[in-house]
Amino acid sequence: MRNYFLKSTHAAPLAIFRLALGLILFISIVRFWSRGWIYELYIKPTHFFPFYGFDFIKPLGNYTYLLFALCGISALCTAAGFLYRFTSILLFLSFTYIELIDKSTYLNHYYFISVVLLMMVFLPANRYFSVDAYRNKKILAGQIPKWTLDSLKLIILILYFYAGLAKLNSDWILHALPLKIWLPAKNDTPIIGFLFNYPWISYMFSWFGCVYDLLIGFLLWNKRTRAFAYSTVVIFHGLTAILFPIGMFPYIMIVTALIFFSAEYHLNLINKLNIIMTLPDCFIDPKAISYYKKSVDTLLICCFVVFFTIQMLMPFRYMLYPGELFWTEEGYRFSWRVMLMEKAGYAQFTVKDGTGKREIVNNTEFLTPLQEKMMSAQPDMILQFAHIIRDHYTRLGFIDPQVYIDSYVALNGRRGKVLVNPQTDLAKEHESFEPKTWILPLNDEIKGF
Amino acid sequence: MYWIRTSILVQFYGLSTVHMSVKNLGLILGFLVVIAACSKNQKSEPGPVEHSIDRQAMLINYADNIVVPSYTAFKGNLDFMVKKGDAFNANPTKITLTEFREAWVNTYISWQKVELFEFGSADKFVLRSYFNVYPANEALINANILAANANFDLPSTYTSQGFPALDYLINGLGANDEAILSYYTTAPDATKRLAYIKKITAQMNTVFNQVYTEWKSNQRDTFVSKVGMDASSSTSTMVNGFVRNYERSIRSGKFGIPSGTMFNGTVSPEKVEAFYKKDISLTLAKTAHQAATDFFNGKNNVGIEGPSFKTYLNALSATDSKTKGSLSLAITDQFALTEQKLNVLPTENLNELVKTQNELMINVYSELQKTVRLIKVDMTSAMSITITYTDNDGD
Repeated sequence: MRNYFLKSTHAAPLAIFRLALGLILFISIVRFWSRGWIYELYIKPTHFFPFYGFDFIKPLGNYTYLLFALCGISALCTAAGFLYRFTSILLFLSFTYIELIDKSTYLNHYYFISVVLLMMVFLPANRYFSVDAYRNKKILAGQIPKWTLDSLKLIILILYFYAGLAKLNSDWILHALPLKIWLPAKNDTPIIGFLFNYPWISYMFSWFGCVYDLLIGFLLWNKRTRAFAYSTVVIFHGLTAILFPIGMFPYIMIVTALIFFSAEYHLNLINKLNIIMTLPDCFIDPKAISYYKKSVDTLLICCFVVFFTIQMLMPFRYMLYPGELFWTEEGYRFSWRVMLMEKAGYAQFTVKDGTGKREIVNNTEFLTPLQEKMMSAQPDMILQFAHIIRDHYTRLGFIDPQVYIDSYVALNGRRGKVLVNPQTDLAKEHESFEPKTWILPLNDEIKGF
Repeated sequence: MYWIRTSILVQFYGLSTVHMSVKNLGLILGFLVVIAACSKNQKSEPGPVEHSIDRQAMLINYADNIVVPSYTAFKGNLDFMVKKGDAFNANPTKITLTEFREAWVNTYISWQKVELFEFGSADKFVLRSYFNVYPANEALINANILAANANFDLPSTYTSQGFPALDYLINGLGANDEAILSYYTTAPDATKRLAYIKKITAQMNTVFNQVYTEWKSNQRDTFVSKVGMDASSSTSTMVNGFVRNYERSIRSGKFGIPSGTMFNGTVSPEKVEAFYKKDISLTLAKTAHQAATDFFNGKNNVGIEGPSFKTYLNALSATDSKTKGSLSLAITDQFALTEQKLNVLPTENLNELVKTQNELMINVYSELQKTVRLIKVDMTSAMSITITYTDNDGD
């Protein structure tokens, strides 16, 4: 083990990873901006759903554009390896800030990017093929500690493997849900569309997807299976890009999986790039080996061990909660549970007070259609919205208002059921990590992880 | 059970020759055996399964056998009503008034069978807003009559036109026909009032014909060609329009708002449909509800069912994985339950009912609300459709 942490490896894969990640994030930001989503998602809404414990993250109004600009610029700087220590921190902070503003926009791959960006802050990604190393030859190095590169491979492996584990449940495996619902809606896709009319194709997609996620990390890591594995990454993610509205995610995964390829492969890429850039040989093939200082090295390794332990335990935290995970969603996020649910809900709130005032709340007065859709099926957001209602009606002169909900949620083709106890005054309930006793049971068991 | 297994194999072999290599055969065969085994446990009802996840067939049935024929039937009624309105205008007598009123009743009932098509051209031209926003605004109507230059294209005038405004003008001005007639004969602004009636029927005619002409020309082809499932596709806009109409116009408009179930519990008997005519409110509600039921079942105006939401859900095998209950059956059952609650209402006069036995109104509302849940949450979720309209109950 001690020997492992002393090993070094070529710096090229990490440098290319830095370059590719920075560029694709820049493209994502530009895409997001050009579609008007900054306004739609972060400026237009009048109320937001911050994450528990992150209430200090506030929407920035028109300054959100500035935040995105900052994020885009730091992504470019990170890609170039320019002022890397500073810009990589800026990139992590600005990106993560954006993602923490509103739960309704939560996506697993945004979380993945935040996690990777946090790691990148501490990795020696600017030691090679970077503006920093070009300007300051003292930091230029051809070799970096092997564990730093492996840590990125490990987080990608964890992402896929846990996504595969999460698919080992009875809805996915035995009932091909939710694909059995989603695929027939795509039966007008050119050429392959007709296939989606057949239930067995949903089973095949489900099972293949599960096996794929469980194995792909290992197949990428293994030199002999790598080329084959990577071609399936391209095909698999290409297919999901056609079928589902998941934006940049497939492309991000296609790009990040490049990190599994050998140093020669990446050097080859760099040499090709260098035909245009014509940088001196001593820059392309430096002899120096990058080390962390002994004390820093030990501290960093300890931090990474803790970090990975948390990463590996987080997805299992749902076991601490009673009830069905997909139903209560207690411990659902940050666990690489991707595309597992077709869930839709209906939520109508009634607010009243002791003086006899009573009103049915018009959700659209407070929320955008996206926010309403997300809130209707997720208990923690329902509670947050109930508090928004409570505070609003207190301002309107209701005295100590009580907030009740008439909720109805359908999960993976099951007949809809009441999600939240209609007798519970949500104005009096508090968010915490404790189980939410006001969530009514699904009365069905989804077996598996 | 045997049938299911072979059908899968047939599908599979048909496919394998085209797309799959022999190498994968073993693997896929293995998959199939397990699937067949799983299917065995799931299917409890014998008989062939409807295997047509064919949205185009459904769209064609809705367009050709339901929407266009219903519009044509409505057009017949509307034309007749306009004619009777003109006759009343030319010679306001007790006879012409009675005939105009009769035509108005028949057209209003006929309207209930087309109001729910809130997609395509009707959505584009906001047809419903020109025809049936109630309660009518008496003050605005009277002001418009005097001013004689109201711009009926403005949303602010919706409550002063359409069926509800006519209701006020031919049923609500006096206690009996003589009293009403006097407003069109001896009253100082009688001609202006007659002109206003003419203006209303002309506007209804114009707006409806825009919608009708489009459906008779390119709307039909556009509609049946958009077979996708994105937000602008025909299936998605049709489901959204259908659910929205059921939720807002039938549940909220006809029962929720008058009975006070919707807003802060205030009972509003004056907000029933056909408030002035009094004795057709229940018929209108029943007709609308029957139209919604028939629409779900894909039943055309001669009673024959074709590809519909119901058959589409069946083709998707939309069943609860635990209870094995069919979703389409649950929905048709719920429609039937709601109908029962409508059938026990003792009077046509819903205005009176709100005042005397509001609990019966609330009973209907509660059943309607259960249907809303089924079609808005369960049905859309099973079809993989997103509800895109925002439910503001303000209109």
